[in-house]
Amino acid sequence: MSILLQLIYSGIALGMIYAVIAFGYQLTFATSGTLNFGQGDALMLGALMGLTLVTLGVNYWLMIPLVCVFGMLQGAFVERIGVRPAIKIKSEFGWIMSTIALGIIFKNVAENVWGRDDLRFPSPLPEAPLNVFGANVLPMELLVVCGALAMMLAVEFFNRKTILGKAVVATANDRDAAALMGINTGLVITFSYALSSLTAAFAGVLIAPLTLTGATMGAVLGLKAFAVAIIGGLSSGLGIVVGGVILGIAETTTGFYLSTGYKDVPGLVLLLIVLSLKPAGLFGKTAIKKV
Amino acid sequence: MVMRLKSVVAAFAFCVAASNGYAADPIKIGVDGPFTGGSSSMGVSMRDGVRLAAAEINKAGGVLGRPIVLIERDDEAKNERGVQIAQELINKEKVVAIVGYINTGVALASQRFFQEAKIPVFNNVATGSIITKQFSDQPDNYVFRNAAADRIQAPMIVDEAVTKRGFKKVAILADSTNYGQLGREDLEKALAAVGVKPVAVEKFNIKDVDMTAQLLKAKQAGAEAVLTYGIGPELAQIANGMAKLGWKVPLIGSWTLSMANYIDNAGANGEGARMPQTFIQVPNTAKRKAFIDAYLKEFKPKNDRIDSPVSAAQGYDSIYLLAAAITQAGTTDGPKVRAALENLNTKVEGVVMVYNKPFTHSDHEAVSPNVPVIGEVKGGRVVYAYDSDKEGGGQLRIKQASRD
Amino acid sequence: MKNTKLLVSTIALLALALFPVLSGNSYYIHLVETIMIYAILLFGLDIVVGYTGQVSLGHAGLFGVGAYTAGVLFMQLSAPFYVSVPLAILLTAGFGAILALPALRVSGPYLAMVTLAFGTIVQILINEMAFLTNGPMGIKITKPVFAGHELSENGYFWLVAMLLVLSLVVVHRVLKSHLGRAFEALRDSPIASDCMGVSVYRYKVYAFVISAGFAGLAGCLYSYSEQYISPNTYNIELTILFLLAIIMGGRKTRTGAIIGSTIIVMLPKLLDDISMFRLVATALAVVVIGGAIFALMRKNEPLKVIIPVAATVLLAVFSYWIDALTDWRLTIFGLMILLVVYYLQDGVVGFLRKFIMQGRVRTVTVDTEKNAEIAGGAILDVREHGAETILSFRNVVMQFSGLKALNNVNLSVRRGTIHGLIGPNGSGKSTMMNVLTGIYAPTSGEIEYRGEPIAGRTSSAIALLGIARTFQNVQLFGEMTVLENVLVGLHHTFKSNFADVGLMTSRYKREERAARERAFSMLRFVGLDEAAGDEARNLPYGKQRLLEIARALALDPQVLLLDEPAAGLTAPDIAELVAIIRKVRDHGITVVLIEHHMDVVMSVCDTVSVLDFGQKIAEGKPSDVQADEKVIEAYLGGVAA
Repeated sequence: MSILLQLIYSGIALGMIYAVIAFGYQLTFATSGTLNFGQGDALMLGALMGLTLVTLGVNYWLMIPLVCVFGMLQGAFVERIGVRPAIKIKSEFGWIMSTIALGIIFKNVAENVWGRDDLRFPSPLPEAPLNVFGANVLPMELLVVCGALAMMLAVEFFNRKTILGKAVVATANDRDAAALMGINTGLVITFSYALSSLTAAFAGVLIAPLTLTGATMGAVLGLKAFAVAIIGGLSSGLGIVVGGVILGIAETTTGFYLSTGYKDVPGLVLLLIVLSLKPAGLFGKTAIKKV
Repeated sequence: MVMRLKSVVAAFAFCVAASNGYAADPIKIGVDGPFTGGSSSMGVSMRDGVRLAAAEINKAGGVLGRPIVLIERDDEAKNERGVQIAQELINKEKVVAIVGYINTGVALASQRFFQEAKIPVFNNVATGSIITKQFSDQPDNYVFRNAAADRIQAPMIVDEAVTKRGFKKVAILADSTNYGQLGREDLEKALAAVGVKPVAVEKFNIKDVDMTAQLLKAKQAGAEAVLTYGIGPELAQIANGMAKLGWKVPLIGSWTLSMANYIDNAGANGEGARMPQTFIQVPNTAKRKAFIDAYLKEFKPKNDRIDSPVSAAQGYDSIYLLAAAITQAGTTDGPKVRAALENLNTKVEGVVMVYNKPFTHSDHEAVSPNVPVIGEVKGGRVVYAYDSDKEGGGQLRIKQASRD
Repeated sequence: MKNTKLLVSTIALLALALFPVLSGNSYYIHLVETIMIYAILLFGLDIVVGYTGQVSLGHAGLFGVGAYTAGVLFMQLSAPFYVSVPLAILLTAGFGAILALPALRVSGPYLAMVTLAFGTIVQILINEMAFLTNGPMGIKITKPVFAGHELSENGYFWLVAMLLVLSLVVVHRVLKSHLGRAFEALRDSPIASDCMGVSVYRYKVYAFVISAGFAGLAGCLYSYSEQYISPNTYNIELTILFLLAIIMGGRKTRTGAIIGSTIIVMLPKLLDDISMFRLVATALAVVVIGGAIFALMRKNEPLKVIIPVAATVLLAVFSYWIDALTDWRLTIFGLMILLVVYYLQDGVVGFLRKFIMQGRVRTVTVDTEKNAEIAGGAILDVREHGAETILSFRNVVMQFSGLKALNNVNLSVRRGTIHGLIGPNGSGKSTMMNVLTGIYAPTSGEIEYRGEPIAGRTSSAIALLGIARTFQNVQLFGEMTVLENVLVGLHHTFKSNFADVGLMTSRYKREERAARERAFSMLRFVGLDEAAGDEARNLPYGKQRLLEIARALALDPQVLLLDEPAAGLTAPDIAELVAIIRKVRDHGITVVLIEHHMDVVMSVCDTVSVLDFGQKIAEGKPSDVQADEKVIEAYLGGVAA
């Protein structure tokens, strides 16, 4: 029993990471109808940047806002170079390929700057596990869950209470109407990309102490986070938290009871199933297309 | 526009033609290893050892009066890359011999092309037992090795765990590559020879980060020690995973527990791990001192610690052995070099050991069971585990005929 | 033109056949072999990416399935080559179907992610199911054995070359056939495609399955070529390389696929050799600077020219700065993708074509003289004399969240009449049409066509039953020619399948010829026969509307729905339109006409129904409706005189 509980704890922590990344997908999709295929690489850059800062002596907690700023700049860069030209020529193929391209460029640059080996990220919290209801939980895992929830609540608060947030929501609802109301939709879209990469980078420094940090850490995470975004529905915040937790637990239990090699499979299979049966996600609303 | 194009093409052609004029006809030796990725500390160390040896030989006049030119290729520890590199080295670069192969899988996939082309393959790091026996059904075998094969290491691991330290319940954790799985088979055979059956046998993939599942299963089965067959990064995760579970039992495994990326990534959790080693970075003979000093001066590794001392030393020795054979054969012709290797007249004093008739027609292993010692990770470096070995370290060992 | 093409192809084939003998170096032979194998896969991928416009990130996975089918059959069963090949093709096509059926219900980024997930799952399964595939340890394979003799390196080269030529022929035939037209149609306008009876979903699946078959063939050949396969190879990097090859070489061309394949195989080799790369980068920079000066002299925008110049010069400088380019391989690929997506959208082949054509518009020659001999009578007379009422709406409600676009509408259309539908904007006219043609399923109520209920059926099913339509915003297949647009409407006349097309059976040839003749006479019916070879998007607006009608008539419908056909037309065009509408009715086809041009409605309609706020407020003869008070107040304006 305690093993199952252990797996559930690890699964929840893992799932929250997916949820935070998935949140980023939601942000850009809502305002611009585009996704950043390199979202996982944004996480990877955040983690590696954080590692460099921490190695240089910067305190972990101080490092977080710095990495967040870096994430914002990186997101804005992706939008400018990759997404904006594609939106202008109304080419879906365009932004899909260019965000993929930027993703692999970032990965390759990271490989050359930080090396191809996976590195260890020093944990800011003590590494001794805590015993909760008979199973072990790492303090870092608790931090991950709290941090992820805090980030998502912060963004929700931002959307509802601040004027810039309202501009984002307006653009998300109807881009043309928002533009007519005087909202600079181009800036809003850039901002949503910046925010999206910020959440990814933040997720990166949260998860780095739990796994190894390296140039390849982003790819599969990005894909599984997309699965969570789809499962939860690209419009529902609660949905992705639920989706993330489901996926995380499914992974850790598959890894133990079946074989660790298969642990990536449930997420991907779930993605395929949800997309075939209910493309709007478990919590999403099906949109009606107007002709 | 067309004129411009023509002149560019002409300039281009001229440059290509000009670059083909050369001095004395060099001897091309291929070097294949993983210079990037999880196995890179072994590959890079091997390559640097090889470079050191080649530079020394060239400074002394080369082989048969001709300089050695190394054609290096990164196989990224991927079997299919090894295959492609083998074809390129044989057909395009036309090498006369190849040294290297760190990963057993890469060696097994790639060697057959050299065997077909009758070009000697000198395995200086890969330890899969079957490597030198892959072509035992053919009249002439072109694969040689100066690393300690797993059929030597596995019994040593078992000896350390079961006989010397008395653990009767052991778990095996091996990776899913050819190296891990073949090594696991060797371990199981060695354990059976002393009447022990492992209580758990678990597998993990390269790039796996979370070993909790496998460790939990081993713990549940009551293992007193964990025997490993893997490479640095994953081995570090095993050590870290044990700490996370609060279950610290001794780690005894194959020689890869000496890799820099294991020691660095496991940190304090990695201390005390033990493994067979053919070479420990201790300057206890004149030759070893010269080698270590030259290596540190040339390549300046972090903390003056060679990333993979065994790989560097064996790489260094492999070039000297090859050079001796080519000199004896008087030619770079594959079959003649092979024959020379099998009947080496000169004694080659290497860094690992003294090579006195290391190979025969049927035995292509330079390292015998008496050569490796047990090493231990202590203070972030690999040291002699047993004082008796440390004291005898100044004595270079010689191969004793094995009862194969 | 055709003769030069034939000559060039023959020379190319000869060169290919002689290559192994001339080269003698098995390393280079192997290289060209790999190019050919990738090209086979790319032919298939082009169908999905170039023709149907879908982004598939899973083709490396399909490639892996093909390779491993061959490998596993070899390892476990010692299956011979001629068994492995068809099995690999079939199994991979099967995997393609399993993937396509759920995946193609979505599109765009969803499809990309789903195919990516699929590719990842395949890689994981190959890696884990070691009992079948030997997992990470890989499978060793020898060259195929025929009649006890193992094929030599040269022999296998020629075998692959033959299969390449075969694939090329099959793909070419498919893409020139009605299947190819269907693929292009669904990319250009999915809505119109569905309404012309070409089910978008079904044809996307066909396209994907066909491409999977080619990927399977390529994978099988690859495993025999490499003689060693392992799970590592079939990863995201490979799938991106395939996409890069298609978009860099040029979509929708066979040559583009071959050029693309050459680029992705040679590029890593080029990058490995740093001195060679420096030479090429410098040469490229020189050429681009030359081209830029040339373009500036021609008074092109300086900004557009600066970016490629800056990029290539930076590349050349960069190449001298670093020692080894292999580490930066992926960055180069990424930059190439960005370059192609924004500057070279038509790929190398497209660029060369533009360069050679110098802006001349590409025309497809249609033999107008021969076609002039074809008798009229393209439009089939509707001979059925069934019930009076051909269409009936009963209590139809269409609700979008809070808005009731159709609020309990009751309407009947009599066979053989021209029935007008008028009303202010937002009254629900287009919604009625969309509900009728299956684009929306009504919230409640019944719709009957010839006495059968059709509410909730798919657009393509309804179209095939005999209801055709045009669109308020013209939905032509822009990149296809005028003739091809009508040919898509005639898709329903083809019974030939993939095998017929591939083998060019007489059945297919007959159907294609008959369709072309009918299409041409339909164009003559609407007066567009002179423009048969023009690209649809280049037609003037009025003619585009006529083309839509011709295309709709190709469905051999019993009911033709026209959604504001006169919008934006000038007076002479309107007169032409009215004449055509009358001619259509004279063939027995019932016409339902939504219009705002009152003079058109009044002059041509037998009955007029008026909608306002989703409800029918009046119905009757045009003159009666025109005088109706409610109608005047709601729509016509002013007080009744």
